[in-house]
Amino acid sequence: MTGMIRAGHAYFTYDDEAEVIVNALEDVSLEISSGEFVAILGHNGCGKSTLAKHFNAIFTPYRGDVAVNGINTKDEDKLYDIRQNVGMVFQNPDNQIVATIVEEDVAFALENLGVPPKEIRERVDEALRTVGMYEYRDRAPHQLSGGQKQRVAIAGILAMKPQCIVLDEPTAMLDPKGRREVMKTIKRLNRDEGVTVILITHYMDEATQAGRVVVMDRGKILLDDEPRRVFSQVELLKDIGLDVPQSTELIYELRKAGFPLPQDILYPEECVDALQKLMEGRYGNH
Amino acid sequence: MLKDITIGQYFPGNSLIHRMDPRMKIVLTFAYIIMLFVANSMFGLLVGILFLIVTYGISKVPPRMILKSMKPIVPIILFTAILNMFFVSGTPIVEFWIFKITREGISLAIFMLVRIVCLIAGTSLMTYTTSPIALTDGIERLLGPLKKIRFPVHELAMMMTIALRFIPTLIEETDKIMNAQKARGADLETGSLIQRAKALIPILIPLFVSAFRRADELALAMECRCYKGGEGRTRMKILHMGLPDLFAALFMTICFAGVIVLNILL
Repeated sequence: MTGMIRAGHAYFTYDDEAEVIVNALEDVSLEISSGEFVAILGHNGCGKSTLAKHFNAIFTPYRGDVAVNGINTKDEDKLYDIRQNVGMVFQNPDNQIVATIVEEDVAFALENLGVPPKEIRERVDEALRTVGMYEYRDRAPHQLSGGQKQRVAIAGILAMKPQCIVLDEPTAMLDPKGRREVMKTIKRLNRDEGVTVILITHYMDEATQAGRVVVMDRGKILLDDEPRRVFSQVELLKDIGLDVPQSTELIYELRKAGFPLPQDILYPEECVDALQKLMEGRYGNH
Repeated sequence: MLKDITIGQYFPGNSLIHRMDPRMKIVLTFAYIIMLFVANSMFGLLVGILFLIVTYGISKVPPRMILKSMKPIVPIILFTAILNMFFVSGTPIVEFWIFKITREGISLAIFMLVRIVCLIAGTSLMTYTTSPIALTDGIERLLGPLKKIRFPVHELAMMMTIALRFIPTLIEETDKIMNAQKARGADLETGSLIQRAKALIPILIPLFVSAFRRADELALAMECRCYKGGEGRTRMKILHMGLPDLFAALFMTICFAGVIVLNILL
């Protein structure tokens, strides 16, 4: 199945009544297929969160359309179908946990959907195991670390069995350890469970782990390609105030200084290999 | 420091009373309160004390916890006792100036004192053995029939749950703001009462702003998880009455009957 989420020439604005309309989204067209891992990049205020909120009908475009599985997000009768299919995880884990016990919180969405109690129990346990938080099911949220809380929040979405999870800067408030935990969980969901993942981030190293990177600037989609090709456009990215991964940056500067290096280096290991090759070529093998 | 505050006074355990259905515990607590007020003699109250000894014994809540729950109401207990002692007419024992202490006064004072102590100990047992979340759950289901007259039962329970959930978060936040303001030279500990109250303003305002922001985000997250009010909602944990509940109800009934019989006989 392709084209699970489809945005066609979508426009959105926050200030309907203002005379000069400032578009938060401007002519955004995007198609995301089932099973993809897409990272959406951009600096603050570029419209990436706004776009994410279109994917599960929190916002609807004033011009153009967004459709999930062929259902237009403006169709209010199907609102809960859409929200169940496209789950959303936010930045601050504290502000999305509703219940005072981990497992009760994971059950929250299923209770809302009217799932029978026995099935809720099974799906909650399964979701908690998937994110590796099963042992913490009886704890209170405030006893957990940031990364653990965020994983509970992910489990709460996962229990709905969505086809797609949208994560809006899920690691922005976490320490490095929490970030690693959450990224590992997200990658595993995509790889092992076949969940479509849309990761909104401003960390470059997180974006490099996706299969596709969408770069946004001022409400428009600027680049939409695989990470290697996106990050090889170092100058363009720097122009709109974005960084590139550290290894890419290093190679870029070296190339500028005249060293013969390949252009599309993305990961640290590749960088090491390329540099080693360069040194061997130049100084011989010691 | 602020983090160590516990919510409610739940005393975790796994006794028969802990495992009882919260609905039954609430109902029985009310029955116990009524029983204490029905009892019109010291012997009736003895039944109440007996009930407490048995239930606290089963619950394994240490008796020093009773003293702890008594602490805040010591002034009320003393006030009631003294009032009763001086203002009940009867055969005087001691007389000085315009005061006189009567035999009836003393016995009534003791009677009232025992009654209040039993009342607090009994209700405390419920909160000691029931977690706040179970209590909320029990209240929601007990009030269930009121939904028919459009009483917002689910909404109230939801508000209680969210409040319980956010108390530790907001306490932590208060702590952070206090430290931030202290780092900027705010003086929170000295000065007159009015000065100290004024010093709280720079703490309360950021706290409120952040609480509203949190509420906004929480509402959004709840919507994303298909929250649409209480209608058509199911629950993961189903409350069910078991054998302990039956025995507890039976024991309560026997005690209550005993009190009524004592009332009639004496």
